[in-house]
Amino acid sequence: MTRTKNMCYERVSSNLLFRILRCLVPASCFAASLIAHDFDQVRTASSSPVLRARAVLGLEGVANNSMGELSIQDDVFVYSRREGPTVRMPLSEIQGAFLSQEDKQVGGMPMALGRAATPYGGGRVIGLFAHKKYDFMTLEYFDSNGGFHGTIYQLSKGQGQVLADELGAKGVHVSGLEMASAKQRLETNNVK
Amino acid sequence: MSSRRISLTAVAIGVALVQSVLPVPALAGINHGRVPQWRVEVNQIDSGGSSIAPEFRIAIYENLVTELTKSKQFSAVLRSGDRSANGVSNLLILKTTVESYTPGSETKRAVTTVTGATKLKVRNQLCTKDGQLVLERVVDGNVRFFGGNLRATHNLARNVANALKQATLPDP
Repeated sequence: MTRTKNMCYERVSSNLLFRILRCLVPASCFAASLIAHDFDQVRTASSSPVLRARAVLGLEGVANNSMGELSIQDDVFVYSRREGPTVRMPLSEIQGAFLSQEDKQVGGMPMALGRAATPYGGGRVIGLFAHKKYDFMTLEYFDSNGGFHGTIYQLSKGQGQVLADELGAKGVHVSGLEMASAKQRLETNNVK
Repeated sequence: MSSRRISLTAVAIGVALVQSVLPVPALAGINHGRVPQWRVEVNQIDSGGSSIAPEFRIAIYENLVTELTKSKQFSAVLRSGDRSANGVSNLLILKTTVESYTPGSETKRAVTTVTGATKLKVRNQLCTKDGQLVLERVVDGNVRFFGGNLRATHNLARNVANALKQATLPDP
């Protein structure tokens, strides 16, 4: 009698645990996406804005995909992190900058695992909503030895345009989505 | 008998002299199976008429430099335009031309699994300084399931490095 009672109790507790886990997985995914949103803050200094950016690749001495802050101080492009060296690049070394936009899934690997673990195709539904547009700023430059380099920064949507405007104002050749459409608008206005 | 001994001693002395006079790299191949290595200069990526986005072009280039350095097949990996490549005799130039580029979508991959793949196919040519073609390979790099679109460039660069490692290059 007590054995049957225990078995029944175990079954009920495992069902309860499974239900709790099913609720927790989407909740943790949602929390991860909220955390990802919190990183998109822009701090504005007195002269030029300081933008939070991810150095996706190509930055010497900095690990790929590391978060940091981008700013333009006088004629120097600065990428700084809380830990590690600050990278300074004179704007005169930059040969070209290109702005583009791409859609990415938020939350990284924990979110991907959560999506995979969610039953009944729930992961696909989460994937449908857990994406966000990012700006990508690609810089091309030559080092002191003449070697060609390229770096890619990922910024929150809209911040890429702020950086592009800053670079454009300092005389760097910037091309890309918004720049092209703005030029076209200007040309059509001039024709009218 | 004594003349034979004298001639053997003379041969031994001669061999010892040759070994001491010749530079070490010239004998490396005989002694330890080491072959003098090539240096490689990675040229900028040629879009080749495809509408490849600049960040993909740059990512291919940077990943190629990283992967070729990691593979240790070449004694040095130089960037395009590097002045230290001037006057180097054992230099190969890696030219990369994009043959096809299919932009994908991470969201489509997450939702449908089977669509939204990012596909890249490039033609790699290893040439000597005077333009002689040493090696030509067509390599592709895709991202089908996990990871961002730029991961295709990392996969591509790794495949190129593997293809070059498997190929037999002539002695410099």
